[in-house]
Amino acid sequence: MDKPKANLFSSIKSLKYLFKKPVTIEIPKVYREAADRYRGFHTNDWDKCIGCGTCSEICPTNAIRMEKVPGYEAGNGQTDERPVIDYGRCCWCGFCVDICTTGSLKMSKDYIFISPDANDFIYIPDEEGINKNYPEEGYRRNDETDLLELERVIMGHLSAEERGDSFIEYVRGYSKEEAIREASRCVECGICTYTCPAHMNIPEYIRTIWEDDLEKGVEYLYKTNPLPGVCGRVCTHKCESVCSLGHRGEPIAIRWLKRYIVDNTPDDEYEKVVLAEVSKPGKGKVAIIGAGPAGLSAAYYLRTLGYEVDVFEQMPLAGGVMRYGIPRYRLPDEALDRDISFIEKIGVRIHTNYKVDKEKFKELKEKYDAVFLSTGFFTGRKLPPHILPGSDHTDVIAAMDFLPKVRDFVRGMGEMPEVGEKVVIIGGGNVGFDVGRSVVRLQRMKYGKVDVTITALESEDILPADREELEEGREEGLKVVFSRGPKEIVIEDGKIKGLLTVKCLRVFDDEGKFNPQFDEEDKLFLEADQIFMAVGQAPDYNYIPDDIMEKLEIVRGKIKADEYGRTNFEWLFVGGDIKEGPDIIHGIANGHNAAKAIDEYLRKKYGIE
Amino acid sequence: MGEIKALQLFHGPNHPGMHGNFSVHIKVDGDIVVEAEANPGMLHRGFEKLMERRNWMQNIALILRVCVVEPDINEAAYSMAVETIEGMDVPERAQWIRVMILEMARIANHLMSLGGIGGPTGLYTGPNWALVDRDLILDIFEKITGARVYHMYIVPGGVRQDVTDEILKDLEKVLDDIEKRLPEYRELILEHPIIQKRTKNIAVLTRDQALSWGVTGIALRATGVDYDVRKYDPYLVYDKVEFDVPTVDFSDAYNRLWLKYQEIYQSIRIIRQVIEKMPSGKVREKLPGNALKWRVKKGDAYVKLESARGEFGYYMVSDGGTKPYRVFVRGASYPQGLLGIEKGLPGTRLEDVAIWLDTMGVCAPEIDR
Amino acid sequence: MKEQELIDLIEKHVKYEEGSIEVYAPRKLKFILKKDDLVDTLLFLKRNGFVQLSFITCVDWIKDNKFELVYGLVSWEHKLTVLVKTFIDRDNPKMISIMDIWPTAKYYEQEINEFFGVYFEGNPNMSKELILENWDSMPPLRKDFDPQSYSNEKFEIRIYDYKMEDKKKK
Ligand code: SF4
Ligand code: SF4
Ligand code: SF4
Repeated sequence: MDKPKANLFSSIKSLKYLFKKPVTIEIPKVYREAADRYRGFHTNDWDKCIGCGTCSEICPTNAIRMEKVPGYEAGNGQTDERPVIDYGRCCWCGFCVDICTTGSLKMSKDYIFISPDANDFIYIPDEEGINKNYPEEGYRRNDETDLLELERVIMGHLSAEERGDSFIEYVRGYSKEEAIREASRCVECGICTYTCPAHMNIPEYIRTIWEDDLEKGVEYLYKTNPLPGVCGRVCTHKCESVCSLGHRGEPIAIRWLKRYIVDNTPDDEYEKVVLAEVSKPGKGKVAIIGAGPAGLSAAYYLRTLGYEVDVFEQMPLAGGVMRYGIPRYRLPDEALDRDISFIEKIGVRIHTNYKVDKEKFKELKEKYDAVFLSTGFFTGRKLPPHILPGSDHTDVIAAMDFLPKVRDFVRGMGEMPEVGEKVVIIGGGNVGFDVGRSVVRLQRMKYGKVDVTITALESEDILPADREELEEGREEGLKVVFSRGPKEIVIEDGKIKGLLTVKCLRVFDDEGKFNPQFDEEDKLFLEADQIFMAVGQAPDYNYIPDDIMEKLEIVRGKIKADEYGRTNFEWLFVGGDIKEGPDIIHGIANGHNAAKAIDEYLRKKYGIE
Repeated sequence: MGEIKALQLFHGPNHPGMHGNFSVHIKVDGDIVVEAEANPGMLHRGFEKLMERRNWMQNIALILRVCVVEPDINEAAYSMAVETIEGMDVPERAQWIRVMILEMARIANHLMSLGGIGGPTGLYTGPNWALVDRDLILDIFEKITGARVYHMYIVPGGVRQDVTDEILKDLEKVLDDIEKRLPEYRELILEHPIIQKRTKNIAVLTRDQALSWGVTGIALRATGVDYDVRKYDPYLVYDKVEFDVPTVDFSDAYNRLWLKYQEIYQSIRIIRQVIEKMPSGKVREKLPGNALKWRVKKGDAYVKLESARGEFGYYMVSDGGTKPYRVFVRGASYPQGLLGIEKGLPGTRLEDVAIWLDTMGVCAPEIDR
Repeated sequence: MKEQELIDLIEKHVKYEEGSIEVYAPRKLKFILKKDDLVDTLLFLKRNGFVQLSFITCVDWIKDNKFELVYGLVSWEHKLTVLVKTFIDRDNPKMISIMDIWPTAKYYEQEINEFFGVYFEGNPNMSKELILENWDSMPPLRKDFDPQSYSNEKFEIRIYDYKMEDKKKK
């Protein structure tokens, strides 16, 4: 390029612009539309926003504060806070939009806002926008700009082939790398904590994984849950259903992370943490009837408060539903033993093979200051013959009569329970699948082939069992038929021929009550030589003396009590299934709460501050 | 009347010939500078400290403020430093896009400083024109990144979002327009007798001075060496595009302007190649987890690139945590802005001080980080 | 020159700390020296093509009670960049100025002096203000300097006067 020479006239050429249209525009006469990706004023969809506060965490300028909205009722899975943006600080980076867990926070193409009052620049984003003009959306988050990791770290499973004929635990558990990676997805919003029945310190213990400080993690676990090894495997993980990450992606695998902490902390460190908890010397003795989740939980926390605790269990082993209900492939004895061993180590006495009856109950009441009942729903229910003809046949078996036998068999304490070659199971809940998948395994051992069908009243989309149960069950060879109501068990020559079912049109009526409707014409016959019923469990209150029973209120099988398990008797507390209905984590929470109430009662009784 | 030997003056912190708030204490004898000392600090925002207190992603919103006219070099140097320490791969397409962005920024910067010579020389048509044409580039930036000046677009692992073909078409058109306009700048500025008078043989820098002070970029290249990081230590995909590094062998204010003018053509050439050759594919890799939990391996690295003013780099240290342990910004104009002023400014006439500062590319925010 | 050639050259002529020489990216190397070997090495490198000092900076390793000084050198001729590093004590930190080798060092050293409190012997600008004016606290880039509490102490916190009720969506 040749070098420019001085030229007096060259610059005069620019005079031509004197007569051209100016390139500038006159504001506000002309409005300049912003580009499609423009990062302008925020909007926030209040119906979607859950107040998780993640936007405020990422904000590099601290422009976002989370504030309580007066008079706003937060539903399940959200908080009553909403983001407030200080436009004196905001730098329009859009990271808040990139990370918003629900996608409620957006940016618009709106970019002009004028006010003489600095306070006006504090803005609570809503759908209207700062100029109240419902502005057009500008910058959008996409996969590339997303600052969350939406995909869960895949949990290793044994393949259906490997697991199908044995009862070994098939969920492998996270390795260290996997666990840290999964933990690094958590935004520590704490939304899950509210929903967890035991209000576990979830974000805190997930953080300990991320920081690789598991000892601290164990400490957090035991604050609210003395059975973390069990819960880390079989908890119904209600927390995961509200996890912030679940709105746009897969929720954090909270349950598996908990299991990771338990499985990967060496015993001695574990012991150090757990035993350190026992500090306060309390005064008083507590009897606990039933060594299930609620009983053990209450026992643990009472013991940490310094009380003498005796737990009475009618079965040969402690654990209740965890020992005799849930199949071994989901919850191996070792995990349960470990949890229970720590409860015993801190001084809880567990008396097994000890059946409490009316007489013994009275004795216990005399000997102890307080009694906590957690005897569970342990009796299997069957549909009576007038509802389902043929259900009184000996080859029709209730789930709760079968599952304990399977577990005893697997641990070498009993014979293999009878299984037929063709089996039908009534009930599409988790227990139905527990039975189904256990039968699958037994059939493989015995016959080398599988023929098990589950019939559910519900259609696939409202199946009460967990999704994974359905998927994994099918992998193992389970057949599932949906929307089928049992009509009759067909018996010929004293032998079961099969189950006659009719089409179930709907399960719930318009008010949402259980009220199934059938199409009697649409019939389906399922061949079987053995039928299981997983249609619910029932309590057994025969051990409670009549005079006491009279004064207890029973509502739909459950004993009425307040949130802390207090009954009409000041010394009597209840928890677990008989208060809440079957669910392990609720039981643990009940136990913990009851421990607090019992503590209060005993301190009052003995006048201790 | 007594004789006044030397007079002390403050040049700046506000001066039409100086971009940003930066002051120079000068002593003049008559109208010749006899002593000069830079007095920075007016713009210091403590970026290096602030960076230690923000996580890897949040810093993207901060670092680009080190340079207003060419913010993208900060994003690029920061991201490349993170990638070097972490050993992270950047998708091919993202590298091409980065080159495109950096060259767009270079054009915007050169346009501004080409027109900006109107400030110290009193020729105000130049700056106005330059701002209009720079705005064309900013329009494209707005389309690609969603912001006009502070783009926050280049991030560790790639760029924030892909560019569409439609935007690329618009960009091509803008390049054509600018290319058509460039001869007019030549006429208006470079051929202008006043500019020629006011910049030729003024603010001269020798090659020895430049090398011993550590001056890089256009000021150095005007002394006849073709040192350009893009050629001598190619980063991104600069080794896959063709371009020349213009040089002249006398570094005065005029020649430095002249080089800027030529570099605009080279940048246009590079961007056209990018548009043509850019492969398709993803544009971003991410660290594991969510952005609040990103951690970068323990380690340190110095990463440099060629900014419009010379070698620009980040020295970064990570202790394996969620935030940088230490970040140091090597501003391109640090040598001329401090030592240069002390050693080079004496001998200059008072009215040329602003021209000296302007064409040497002294950039206050690079010194005041 | 290739990276390896430089390594060979250095290994032959310079005492660096065991195992600390590293090519961390193409054309970029770093190595750690004993404090006393630093000046000789820098001189040696300058004579061997590293004419440009790009920067000097400092890192505060407060847990180890050390400052790390980092010198960034560039050789355009060899197309290489090296980081030469050394550790010095954090208490009463001192280093010899290299402004006779590279005059630019003067200001880098002054900046480090101001922000970390390292004293460079032979540099006339020590304890002279460069960036900070009337600074009355510890050198601010030290790790134990907390900008938040400093600013809380020095500046008023602005309280905005607004109520959530007024702002709430109807
Ligand atoms: S991140 Fe999204 S959902 Fe969470 S509080 Fe902010 S705006 Fe609401
Ligand atoms: S755009 Fe950036 S600075 Fe503004 S509120 Fe969102 S995260 Fe904060
Ligand atoms: S697990 Fe989910 S809900 Fe719980 S703190 Fe983490 S991100 Fe929030």
